[in-house]
Amino acid sequence: MSKKDNRQTPENFGQSITVRNADLWYDDYQALKNINIDIPERKITAFIGPSGCGKSTFLKCFNRMNDLIDGCRITGSFKVGETDIYGKINVNELRKNIGMVFQKPNPFPMSVYDNIAYGPRTFGIRKRSELDFIVEDSLKRAAMWEELRDRLGKSALGLSGGQQQRLCIARAFAVKPKIILMDEPTSALDPISTGKIEELCTETAKDTTVIIVTHNMQQAARISDKTGFFLLGELIEYGDTDEIFTAPKDERTERYITGRFG
Amino acid sequence: MNSTKFKEGLGKAVFTAAAIICIIAVVSIFAFLIIRSIPAFSKIGVIDFIFGDRWSPDRLDKYEDAQLSGTYGIFTMIVGTFAATVGALLIGGTIGFFTAVFIAFFCPEKLKRPFSSVINLLAGIPSVVYGFFGIVFLLPMLANFAPNNGSGLLATSIILGIMILPTVVSLSKTSLEAVPKAYYEGAVATGSTHTRAVFGIMIPAARSGITASLILGVGRALGETMAVVMVAGNAATYPNSFFNSFRVLTANIVMEMGYAGDVQQGALIATGVILLIFVLIVNVIFNLISGRAVKKAVAVTAEKGRTSGIGGRGIRSFFSNIGEGIGALAYKLKTDRIGKVISILCGIFSGIALVLVVGFVFVQGLPHLITNPHLLFGKYEFASENITIFPAIVTTLMAVFLSLIIAFPIGVMTAVFLNEYAKKGNLFVRLIRGAIDILSGVPSIVYGLFGMITFVRLFGGSSSILAGSFTISIMLLPTIVRSTEESLKSIAEGRREGSLALGAGKLRTIFRIVLPSAMPGIMAALILSMGRVISESAPFIYTMGSVITSTPDGFLDSGASLAVALYQLSGEGWYIEEAYATAVVLIIVVFGLNLLAEFIGNRLNKKLRGETNVKKR
Repeated sequence: MSKKDNRQTPENFGQSITVRNADLWYDDYQALKNINIDIPERKITAFIGPSGCGKSTFLKCFNRMNDLIDGCRITGSFKVGETDIYGKINVNELRKNIGMVFQKPNPFPMSVYDNIAYGPRTFGIRKRSELDFIVEDSLKRAAMWEELRDRLGKSALGLSGGQQQRLCIARAFAVKPKIILMDEPTSALDPISTGKIEELCTETAKDTTVIIVTHNMQQAARISDKTGFFLLGELIEYGDTDEIFTAPKDERTERYITGRFG
Repeated sequence: MNSTKFKEGLGKAVFTAAAIICIIAVVSIFAFLIIRSIPAFSKIGVIDFIFGDRWSPDRLDKYEDAQLSGTYGIFTMIVGTFAATVGALLIGGTIGFFTAVFIAFFCPEKLKRPFSSVINLLAGIPSVVYGFFGIVFLLPMLANFAPNNGSGLLATSIILGIMILPTVVSLSKTSLEAVPKAYYEGAVATGSTHTRAVFGIMIPAARSGITASLILGVGRALGETMAVVMVAGNAATYPNSFFNSFRVLTANIVMEMGYAGDVQQGALIATGVILLIFVLIVNVIFNLISGRAVKKAVAVTAEKGRTSGIGGRGIRSFFSNIGEGIGALAYKLKTDRIGKVISILCGIFSGIALVLVVGFVFVQGLPHLITNPHLLFGKYEFASENITIFPAIVTTLMAVFLSLIIAFPIGVMTAVFLNEYAKKGNLFVRLIRGAIDILSGVPSIVYGLFGMITFVRLFGGSSSILAGSFTISIMLLPTIVRSTEESLKSIAEGRREGSLALGAGKLRTIFRIVLPSAMPGIMAALILSMGRVISESAPFIYTMGSVITSTPDGFLDSGASLAVALYQLSGEGWYIEEAYATAVVLIIVVFGLNLLAEFIGNRLNKKLRGETNVKKR
């Protein structure tokens, strides 16, 4: 287990994100309207807003998961570090660098070990010793090593919902992403599991940019450094979390965080 | 009040009786075959029969004889059956699997639906048409480089392979499409390409469904009769090369049943019993696999991979090093991309296979069909060269009519019993479901065998439309029961409750509310059953007759159905043009019925969707 870590980390992707004049259409319906945002590196940025406001859609622009949807059209400039991610890049390389955790835990129907090894294997790592190292390292980062070390060969589908979600986070860690996108990662979980994942986010943000979409305003207030409030496809307000929650500039933000609509 | 109660009770009794008939059918098939084969087993000796590799029956052999002058060993045919099945699986299973992958993941969205229905049409083509295609297209082609006329293991495997294709494709496709989309997204989000996500995650996740589809294909290949008879050559020898004449178990029955003597007939029935046992084993495996939770399967295999990989020392680490080497090599060679290319090629091949089978027969047969009206509507003339299939058409229609009259009420009533009356999980219900499962697995030639030793005797000792129709009726039961039940299940529970809440009895609810709502589904079942009667041939040859004689006057006359007529015409080799034309007629009729059934099924779906919308408002 003491082998050195051979995962290649090409340095061409930065950790900050800059978006200018972004619009997004599903066929004729405009889901995002002229969004401009600067997301700082190695911080937690939260997107809040009522259902259907476009926050998840916006999140999926960063790793180009929207490419999978027919009829989805995106304009504007999206830069990760200095790289234009809608320019000439390798999408798979992009997704390796920008990990994603989904709303519902989606472990593959394989063992815990194979779930985590899936990403590294995708990028050509086949040596057992290296994979063993990555699996252990990823699980440790996700604070799961102690509870799972004896169950590596068991099916991941047998874990509890909270464990599954943390496993998915560990799975994302395994390819050493520089940015992690979390799409309402705790909405299907109980309070205790939610607490664990929030801790994990804080821990992760020490060397990784974390962007989290959440329905839960307390969650945003608890863990994020920056908060963006979305409404009907527009980014209404974006700033330091403290400011957004204590002294919102926009009336709509205030009405939302005080619970008057949404 | 009392009379309603009486009616309700009577209704329930009738529905229950229908369900019991299904059980009786299964029991009597087994009972008759086993009872009639026991003398042969004991006379020949079980071991000699199964493991003897010489089959030279003497039709004069009698059970009373102290010494048999013929020998009855079917081992060559057991080997032949397995060889042909494995061949079919290698060809049809592989191509079918990759075709399913193609349709599910690599096919352009617009082509998906037409492609799937084309593959489904392949399933509807009668097996005699496949066999005929083998005779007129495949064998001459293989003969170019074969030492014989092309018949043998290779030809059989190819034809059987094409025949099991639709089964494998449709079931594999269903299970691939049932894999949650979240897995795909998860894979792509870690940087997988589309192809790697498909081969690394989606296919392994659908593993048990794919395995089940292959096993179902094996079942179909094992039980197939006519197509194999037409291309295998049928000499009772081992298939020791790709091109030598060999015989499978089903063929043995069809080849010799018509003129078999006492002991010989017993031996043929015993052949049917052995075949039935094989098919049942396959079915049990199928049920085990399709019933087993995907989760469990995953846990087990994952455990295996883990224990073999970690802590490797000495030889084990040597092997794991090799494994790593192969893995790395596979990665370098981009196996995923190769998989993608293979999938696309197989998809194209499957499409071509259908176009080829149907197109070739059509191009050759249609002109003849159009220019020769005598063929379709002529009058039978004794010893004339001027063949007409008019009697066969009449015979087929009579058989369709009669068998549906017999099978349909029983099937629908059984379905009603299962869905409306039966309590889930009780022993009786499980027995009925088990019986229906078994019935759907029994090879068609075994039905023929059963019909010959029961119905033919019952109805005067010689083959007749009546006997043939009874035989095929049993065969139709599973189809009718299952698809009727399917449409009964899809009726919203609220309707039944609504009727019952108004004070209507159960019987009235069933006849006034449930059955009318399920009508489109039931009609589709009816049409599919028609197609089945028209395309089957093996159950008819010895129960309904195999000679194209004069037009039958009544249900006690015997005659060849269209499919049997095609078998006869192509076998003799003199009437090849007439055979082509007959094949064209069969394909048109079967396709027409399939399309009709699909159309009605779609209308049912639309109707149900419409109703749920109304309910929401």
